[in-house]
Amino acid sequence: MPSFFKLSQRKKLRSKVKKQKEDPMKVDELTEPIYPLLEDQLSFIKRKTGNSADVVVRKASFDEKLGIKTAVVYVEGISNSQSINEFLIQSIIMNRELHRKSPEKDPFDILKEEIVALGDVKIHLDWDGVFQSLMSGETIVLVDGCSKALSASTRGGEQRSIEEPGSQVTVRGPRDGFTESIGTNISLVRRRIQNPNLWVETMKIGTVTKTDVSLVYIKGIAKEDIVNEVRSRLKRIEIDSILESGYIEQLIEDESFTTFPTFYYTERPDIVAGNLLEGRVSIMVNGTPFALIAPTVFIQFFQSVEDYYSRAYLATSLRFLRILIFFISIIAPASYIAGTTFHQEMIPTQLLIAIAAQRETVPFPAFVEALIMEVAFEILREAGVRMPRAVGSAISIVGALVIGQAAVQAGIVSPAMVIIVAITAIANFATPSFAVAISARIIRFLFMVVAATFGFYGIILGILVLAIHLTSLRSFGVPYFAPLAPLVPSGLGDSVVRTPMWALKKRPSLIANKQNQTRMGKNQHPRPNKSRGMVPRHPQEDQE
Amino acid sequence: MKRNYLILTLHLILCVLLSGCWSKKELTDLAIISAMGLDLNDKGEYVSTLQVINPSNVAGGLQGGGGSKGPPVTVYTATGSNIIEVNQVASTKLPRRRYYAHTNLLVIGEELARKEGIDNILDAFERNPEFRMTAVIIIAQGAKASDLLKVMTPVDKIPANKIIKNLKFTEEQWGEFFTINLQNAIKDLTTTGKSTVITGFSVSGSPEQGKKLENIQDSDPETTIGATGLGIFKEGKLINWFEGKTARGTGWILHKVKNTGISFSWMDKEDAVVYQIIREQTNSIPKIKKGKPHITIEVKAEGNIMELRMPADLMDPLVLLKMEKEIEKTIKDELLLAVEEAKKNKTDIFGFGEAFHQSYPKDWEKLKEGWHDVHFPELAVDVKVDAYIRRTGLRNNANELQ
Repeated sequence: MPSFFKLSQRKKLRSKVKKQKEDPMKVDELTEPIYPLLEDQLSFIKRKTGNSADVVVRKASFDEKLGIKTAVVYVEGISNSQSINEFLIQSIIMNRELHRKSPEKDPFDILKEEIVALGDVKIHLDWDGVFQSLMSGETIVLVDGCSKALSASTRGGEQRSIEEPGSQVTVRGPRDGFTESIGTNISLVRRRIQNPNLWVETMKIGTVTKTDVSLVYIKGIAKEDIVNEVRSRLKRIEIDSILESGYIEQLIEDESFTTFPTFYYTERPDIVAGNLLEGRVSIMVNGTPFALIAPTVFIQFFQSVEDYYSRAYLATSLRFLRILIFFISIIAPASYIAGTTFHQEMIPTQLLIAIAAQRETVPFPAFVEALIMEVAFEILREAGVRMPRAVGSAISIVGALVIGQAAVQAGIVSPAMVIIVAITAIANFATPSFAVAISARIIRFLFMVVAATFGFYGIILGILVLAIHLTSLRSFGVPYFAPLAPLVPSGLGDSVVRTPMWALKKRPSLIANKQNQTRMGKNQHPRPNKSRGMVPRHPQEDQE
Repeated sequence: MKRNYLILTLHLILCVLLSGCWSKKELTDLAIISAMGLDLNDKGEYVSTLQVINPSNVAGGLQGGGGSKGPPVTVYTATGSNIIEVNQVASTKLPRRRYYAHTNLLVIGEELARKEGIDNILDAFERNPEFRMTAVIIIAQGAKASDLLKVMTPVDKIPANKIIKNLKFTEEQWGEFFTINLQNAIKDLTTTGKSTVITGFSVSGSPEQGKKLENIQDSDPETTIGATGLGIFKEGKLINWFEGKTARGTGWILHKVKNTGISFSWMDKEDAVVYQIIREQTNSIPKIKKGKPHITIEVKAEGNIMELRMPADLMDPLVLLKMEKEIEKTIKDELLLAVEEAKKNKTDIFGFGEAFHQSYPKDWEKLKEGWHDVHFPELAVDVKVDAYIRRTGLRNNANELQ
């Protein structure tokens, strides 16, 4: 049997190689040097882009006397047409006589030094670079008779403006969120960390899409090993397209056999800045407002940025609440099943009678009842998320009627079960991280199955398995359950509890650079004047 | 590696599938028994009475739809020669699985308690993992347990709950009757130096009428049940009933009194002043004097004057001191009355023997033989009472004095 599998695998490999050879996208052609004649150059560009309508070619005369022509090529929509018109085309036409005055000079030197009034200018010698620049919104300038091309940075076009992020709302805190443009996103972070040590490494990933992916970190605070590891994992990616940071996440995560996210993702620049300052690394992808943050620990998903903006006591109690919420959203229906089918002795008599009275007319076992309700709710929620806005209100009416009232009145489910489903749903919505909430949704069903099989015994076993699984995970080598397991005493100040700001003296020791862990000076505890009086207590004192 | 995962997953799935729903019991398959009664019939067989809750008739709300409902409980009886048999025989009549985990009340018929005693029957309850040792045990005074359990009760619809709460609050507020659960009863039964006391409930009115639902549709139910006596046991058998002051005196010594009111005479008028206890502490101190056992009962009571039917100057501390003396005398009389009655019945329900056992283990070896019959009736008992009046309610003096 095993040999059969191997053979079939080999066959697959062979066929792949053949297919690649027949691929119309010939890579060899692109590595060729640029043809000297302008007509050839332009026809090659046209052939390569399939005569696409958005590729604009503007020809102009460069040296009327010698009859040298020039062409400006750009892609409409992703480039800034205003700067192309003003700083390129206009400037070329105005400065026609420059080449005539000193014909011995290379026309490209003239272009670069005297004509093109734009910031980022590059000279290309092969087609590969030309197309990459062209497709990223830069403008190409070609000159007849030269085997070179000049690209000027004219990236632009229509973009979404900076808006308040929809996925992570805070009451107190900055209101700006990332957009789809990586340049804007990096600028938002750099505005917060005005330090040359904020390093941005950009690479293109995706053989077809050529997406810009940036690795952002603070040199000196981030651990060198982690930065190198992230970089090498990013370099290893060979895929045709990167359309969202989720692609990257799934290709470089430590463990893929888990429902739990080993990356934190966010739309908020303040979260990215805060995490960079803790020594983490951020991966930003062009085309999506979601930036990845690594290494991630589990407890991060129970923390909100607002924890750091509000006072420590509130933040700590809210974190406790969130952990409670997580447990409720995982085991509430399971506990109901276990309680009503295995451990009736654990329920107070009066409550048991109340539940028993409700269950009297229900024709299903508790597990089936819970399953029906949970699945119905999941369907409703999925419908609510994916349906067009206009139909949304119809769904809520149908959902409230079907799940809430009709099911109870028909005697198919008990009111207690509706309460359980509602509590679970609300708890699930209240989980601060959507990624964890969504994995809790799946795990909840597993817990329901073990609860229906072994009762509370099964739930406890399930929690044990879950704990073992969580502690076995790693995010870029950092244990997922740190600082709780392994116990890192210095990190406990910002884990389940959040100690006051003046007590958060160190960065997370497993994540930040060993040599650079202290983040504040000594004696940061606020010490107001002992006399309590910046304002004199009696007006007479003031007069004296 | 992948193969290992596959095998592991298969095992996990098999775990779930093969075990099925092990020892699963659906709520709709359970007969939740709220109370159980035991009687003796003419042939000397046990008769068990199971009071089963009808959940939909107890919990009001959405589904039942109010209006005319069935009874909150249904009672099933069965006969057999032992406790387990008698309960299993009951399954021939019950539509559901008998479920004892919520049985909070055990009623013993007076006849059974007198003739056979309770020490032999409690073993079955102790062995059963489902039955709670915290279940309250009572005696059906002058009635059969089955009659008591059939009476419909208003306010608290489940009769068992009515009895348990009844007992709990009368203990807190009056102190004559108190809750004894299975655990306490078994502990007392196995101790040589202490006899059991168990509260008795009786049915007033016709038991036949009590069974009917109309009984609770009346503002003044014809048939009611209530605590009426304190059953005194000797060697596991019921021998006598204590009532009134004797019963409360027993409560004092057993440190069960919490909030009772004591009335005493003032200026030759009987029961003119009422003193309400707010705190009480009783200690029985054993001593061997000249080879003879001797018990001192020390009572410390704190309370308020709550009623005054004769003029008295409560602003005068000397009056209050005098009142305190009166209170002390009243309490002392009550305690001595209980001790005298117990001595007459030759059963040490106060646990004095146990006090000697703990303080004088060597002397106890000699006293142990015939403690209840010989030594206890001759025991010298001293009572010392300290009563304090802390407050006099919201008024100072009665109206007449102002």
